[in-house]
Amino acid sequence: MSRLRTRSTLAALACAGGLVYLAAGMAGQTAGQPSTKNGDWPAYTGDVKGTRYSPLDQITAANFNKLEVAWRFKTDNLGTRPEFKLEGTPLVVKGILYATGGTRRSVFALKADTGELLWVHAEFEGERAVKAPRQLSGRGVSYWTDGRGDERILYVTTGYRLVALNARTGSLIPSFGKDGLVDLKVGMVTGAGQQIDLVNGEAGLHATPTIVKDVAIVGSSFKESMTVTTHNNTKGLVRAFDVKSGKLLWTFNTIPRPGEFGNDTWENNSWKDNGNAGVWTQISVDEEAGLVYLPVEDPTSDFYGGHRPGNNLFGDSLVCVDLKTGQRKWHYQIVHHPIWDYDLSSAPLLADLTIDGRPRKIVALPTKETFLYVFDRITGQPIWPIEERPVPQSDVPGEKTSPTQPFPTKPPAYARQAVTEKELIDFTPELRMQALEQLKAYKNGPMFNPPAVSKAQGPLAAMTLGTAAGGTNWPGGSLDPETGIAYLHACNSCITTIGLIEPPEGFSSDLRYVLGQAGQPFRVAEGPGFGSAADFPLPGRGGEAAAGRGRGARGQAPAAAAASPATPSPAAIRGGTTVQGLPLLRPPYATISAVSIPKGEIVWQVPHGDTPDAVRNHPALKGLTIPKTGQPGYNISTLVTKTLVVAGDGQVTTTDAHPRGAVLRAYDKATGKEVGGVLIPAPQSGSPMTYMANGKQFIVVAVSGGAYSGEYIAFALPAEAREPRVTN
Amino acid sequence: MVAALQAQGTKTVWDGVYSDEQATRGRALYNTKCLSCHGPDLSGGEMAPPLIGIGFQSNWNGLSAGDLSERIRVSMPLGAEGSLSRQQVSDMIAAIFAAGEYPVGAAELPKEPDVLKTIQITQKK
Repeated sequence: MSRLRTRSTLAALACAGGLVYLAAGMAGQTAGQPSTKNGDWPAYTGDVKGTRYSPLDQITAANFNKLEVAWRFKTDNLGTRPEFKLEGTPLVVKGILYATGGTRRSVFALKADTGELLWVHAEFEGERAVKAPRQLSGRGVSYWTDGRGDERILYVTTGYRLVALNARTGSLIPSFGKDGLVDLKVGMVTGAGQQIDLVNGEAGLHATPTIVKDVAIVGSSFKESMTVTTHNNTKGLVRAFDVKSGKLLWTFNTIPRPGEFGNDTWENNSWKDNGNAGVWTQISVDEEAGLVYLPVEDPTSDFYGGHRPGNNLFGDSLVCVDLKTGQRKWHYQIVHHPIWDYDLSSAPLLADLTIDGRPRKIVALPTKETFLYVFDRITGQPIWPIEERPVPQSDVPGEKTSPTQPFPTKPPAYARQAVTEKELIDFTPELRMQALEQLKAYKNGPMFNPPAVSKAQGPLAAMTLGTAAGGTNWPGGSLDPETGIAYLHACNSCITTIGLIEPPEGFSSDLRYVLGQAGQPFRVAEGPGFGSAADFPLPGRGGEAAAGRGRGARGQAPAAAAASPATPSPAAIRGGTTVQGLPLLRPPYATISAVSIPKGEIVWQVPHGDTPDAVRNHPALKGLTIPKTGQPGYNISTLVTKTLVVAGDGQVTTTDAHPRGAVLRAYDKATGKEVGGVLIPAPQSGSPMTYMANGKQFIVVAVSGGAYSGEYIAFALPAEAREPRVTN
Repeated sequence: MVAALQAQGTKTVWDGVYSDEQATRGRALYNTKCLSCHGPDLSGGEMAPPLIGIGFQSNWNGLSAGDLSERIRVSMPLGAEGSLSRQQVSDMIAAIFAAGEYPVGAAELPKEPDVLKTIQITQKK
């Protein structure tokens, strides 16, 4: 008991303001600024360099299995109904945890050691939130302090407004923007500069603002762009705001206007009537150099670019801009004339490493492609050559694909990039034969296989891997600054068949082609979580009537969707991306790779996740011994600590080793050997983080899915399993 | 009611727990309310998890038809939560079971939550 009291005293000193930072001897660190170095987790990825790294080592391979649930926080009562896709990563600063949750994207603060609720804040945005393209509680909040007692929490609401709250009380900062809010839709345009409607205009964000010094950098996001009603959608941009006043400091247009660099990559003045190219994922910053790294997504219409000939800068580009001015310093386009939904999906990773004997300042970009692009982050020079290589050309009317695409020569791709005969399911010859037969229904090809016009007699679609889903998607990767090893989860079996159809009867669109499959009912792709806003439908309106709103809403889906059965007509070819319910490709279905940036090599790679029940118990596989397959999916990211890589399963299983549940796993970060696991009741749905509070190291992870509504679960070691020394 | 429950015992989805006619009814309902997110082949997509195969079994093996019914009742379809009657939810589940190739039976899947709780979703033993 006396030991606990000692730790409480230290915790009290920490709360008293800053003494613990000096006591820990952290010379050279900005005074009063929290950091993972002293046990906080003050930004979405731990820091603003994307690392998802913390040097804590109270939790080790020797004691990981002894972790117990310290506290849990269900988000059911935030908003009007439970949420089943909780994607947040909380922050912890000085013993207080801050996170988002619920269908209204509420913000709350908990005591980080006990989980006790301290305050909740929510913006009641009405129709503006109902119409938003990016729903549910998003990825989290951001923290700012002046180091002298002023502490704030900033976040972007469902309705796309930037909010500043007092971190101690959760109340709006009246001097920020207008009464604590900045309307981010102001300044968003379509066409040549038409301001979008503040309620109905399409713009939103899941990612957290990136805060560095006194600047908050905010991206922009839209609905899924596969079945849009117009290519003249809202134009993406990135903006920086003064964190104290909310004043706009600069804007970077991801679609260059006339006179701006890159405008000529939009032929026929197509810059004007095309949009998207937002930055929907986490932005990273080199604070010392004053450089900001923007991962840009596709321009409007993910799979058909006939209305925007040209390379379409800065779609699918990594852009480096000046922190003070927003001026572009360098850029690299990952996909020219993007038509595969290879959006740049996660935080660029920054580190200072020695490569080939020289100290280099690098930025490494994990991608859906599963290439890790590595650049000198000051000059933009690739560390290793990136070659422009010829790729298959599209035969879709009106489409003009780039003759070449970039291919990094190092490091090698860390997952599969195409569906090939070699990689088909091969548990048994019969299953493989069936897969080969099914493949005949598609237009097959290597990476950059272009989308194909869908025909009921075949090809149904172009067969692609890791395009829409990835690869590495929004959860991103981690980077160990000590070793320069990037830990990258990737789906190795996420197939997307890309078929194009003319917009069907009843779906009005100015696109020549949208995503669809001949003979199948047409499906409109909305934004993730569409329809789940707390106030959806609005009070007083019937659910069905409300469902018919907005562009491309389900209510406007053609009658064909209701009438036609799912069975294809006799003359049509049968495809299918599963074989008797099993994935078309052989295992591993997803992996975690350790990619050494100094070496430019993959140093270890393991399947991640228990073999799914449906595979392990499949009647066609009876009697076979199947090595661990990993679980198909792209919603997983890794946490790196002093010795461990931590990641949870994306699926629930019941095995000999554990009852029904998912497993939060620890791997030895040097070798990839699995060294521990604890049961979680539902899949990991948000990326894990770690912090110290009251002398204990905690790991917190968001879980949700199936019957299990969103919950943040905190793990810590029981007293008897902890080392006696103080580690903060 | 209690006596009826005791008479039910525990069944699994392999015991013929829904009828063909009910699944057809449920499928028509699915097409109008669920297909746009969960797909014509129930394989899901970026918007929604699959309702068959590996993803479905991961989420629901070891749970009951009652758990599935409650999830649908509380949160589905997006934008019209709570608009489905219990009968419609059961019909929908029958359609899902049919797509998952669980065997058809003589009687319909009931709509009472307590009874649905006694029907386990499992892999074939």
